[in-house]
Amino acid sequence: MREVAAGALLALGVLVAGAFLPVGTHGPARSHSELKVATNGAWRPQSYLDDHNQLVGFDIDVAREIARRLGRTAKFETPDFATMAGGHWHGRWDMAVGSVTPTKARAQVVDFAGIYYFSPYVFAVHKDSPARTFEDLNGKTIGVETGATSEDYIRRRLRIDAPDLPPIQYRVTPGVVRTYADSTMPLDDLRLGDGVRLDAVVAPEQTVLGAIASGYPIKIMPGGYAFREPLTVITDKGAPQWTARIKATIAAMKADGALRALTVKWYGRDYSH
Amino acid sequence: MHFADNVDYPALLGRPIVFLPLLALLFEALRWWNFAATAIGRGLTGLFSLTGLTPAADNVAVAALATVVVGFNLAVVMRLKLRRQVYIVWLELAALILVFFYSFNLSFDFIARKIGFLITQGLVMTLYISLVSIAIASILALIGAMAKLSSNGIALGVANFYTSLFRGIPLLMQIYMIYMGLPQLGYVVGAVPAGIAALSLCYGAYMTEIFRGGIESIPKGQWEAARALGLKPNATLLRIILPQAMRVIIPPTGNQFIAMLKDSSLVSVVGVWELMYLARTQGQSEFRHIEMMITASLIYWLFSILLELLQGRVERYYGRAHAR
Repeated sequence: MREVAAGALLALGVLVAGAFLPVGTHGPARSHSELKVATNGAWRPQSYLDDHNQLVGFDIDVAREIARRLGRTAKFETPDFATMAGGHWHGRWDMAVGSVTPTKARAQVVDFAGIYYFSPYVFAVHKDSPARTFEDLNGKTIGVETGATSEDYIRRRLRIDAPDLPPIQYRVTPGVVRTYADSTMPLDDLRLGDGVRLDAVVAPEQTVLGAIASGYPIKIMPGGYAFREPLTVITDKGAPQWTARIKATIAAMKADGALRALTVKWYGRDYSH
Repeated sequence: MHFADNVDYPALLGRPIVFLPLLALLFEALRWWNFAATAIGRGLTGLFSLTGLTPAADNVAVAALATVVVGFNLAVVMRLKLRRQVYIVWLELAALILVFFYSFNLSFDFIARKIGFLITQGLVMTLYISLVSIAIASILALIGAMAKLSSNGIALGVANFYTSLFRGIPLLMQIYMIYMGLPQLGYVVGAVPAGIAALSLCYGAYMTEIFRGGIESIPKGQWEAARALGLKPNATLLRIILPQAMRVIIPPTGNQFIAMLKDSSLVSVVGVWELMYLARTQGQSEFRHIEMMITASLIYWLFSILLELLQGRVERYYGRAHAR
């Protein structure tokens, strides 16, 4: 009996003390001075660590410019791409500037706050390759990064969710499609020799140019781009007003030439339209 | 053999019937492999200026040279004292690995540019995550082992479920589940705490079993003797059982620490800037992954060696009653 009373008294003490504590608020509070931006840390020149170990790149500059126009400072985090593009951020980030493609499937989980540039994709072949036209690649082994736009393109299931863009033209019928976990591994296999593991790779023009500059024995297939991939800033679902503000900011940056200047700065050519 | 026998047998390699055929096998293997055409073989050809012959003759010459070097090396090392043998063999194998890495034709300039940040940011973060996780995992393991050995059904159930769940799910999934799942319950967890939580819980589960096994390896007589001397259960555990169990617990626990150091690389998937993440991203952005992978591997290895040495010392301390 005595123990029951003591236990009850103790429980009462806890309840009284607990009453002074506020009920926890879910999720981190939105800051009004900083803009939390999710991006990728490994894509040059979109976003990478320079020799002073600072994040720099096109995506970084775009994010900083958006933040500046909203009167905030950008603060970057570098989650896994799938984590970033998969939505359900729970307030971890205010927006993601990570070269995300606006596909129909992705529209289910995140909101698109505006296309800010276009990345042209090319077919890369080994420099000894006899292929001259896109038709020569029909029936060949083609390598792509898995889950990336290039895989959807080569498998003819790229569904871009941007009504005002022309439809994608598929001009190559691959024999075998080999997929890789990241964007440079297909190029590493291509460099082994023409047809050793791969006959061609579908990759962003910038990636291929970067590889060529790093001494990879490969070349870009002549005959134009495979396709041009639109890339968008994304926000989490459930905040239409916030998304609209970013959309307006990006439209303004496109209108006054800020985006063109940034693409020229990082890509050497105008990728903004 | 664990304890040296008092009868001396001739060393197996010291007998010509073993030694000579082994060398012949090695020679044939090298020749079949076309060793002269490999990076190391080419190095040897250059070193002894054997070039100028036909490739086939080169191959035989290099294979013979390598065989002679290995044979001479074995003959010398065999005649040394045990301790020296161990050190020399270790260093030679390490040198071989380094030559293997060197043969990738690495850009040392790139490594020199990046290694500072790999250490000040990457290694520091890796060590921080590993050390905190090791500390928490040890505490969890001790609690888990107590629970598993208790006669309290609820504690037993919780502990069984815990070890089953966290040993049964891949660590990568645990990291994702904590990082992506906790926010569903209303707590938005940061990347580093999520990683530490996952590592601690996973390794706590493994170490629970190690601790339990170690404690169970102490015969019941020890408990009974302590009881007969009037020690209470807690004192028995802390002063009689655990010090003896430590001898059994330390070796596998050291294994776990080393494994944890390297498994902390899995935390890179949630964007923590630790060694693996930096090595991957830095390498990818300049098409130099091999450089970064090798550098990071060597750093991991170096710290694993430090842990191994530490483990050896602790093992000797707790095993002193059993040492000869």
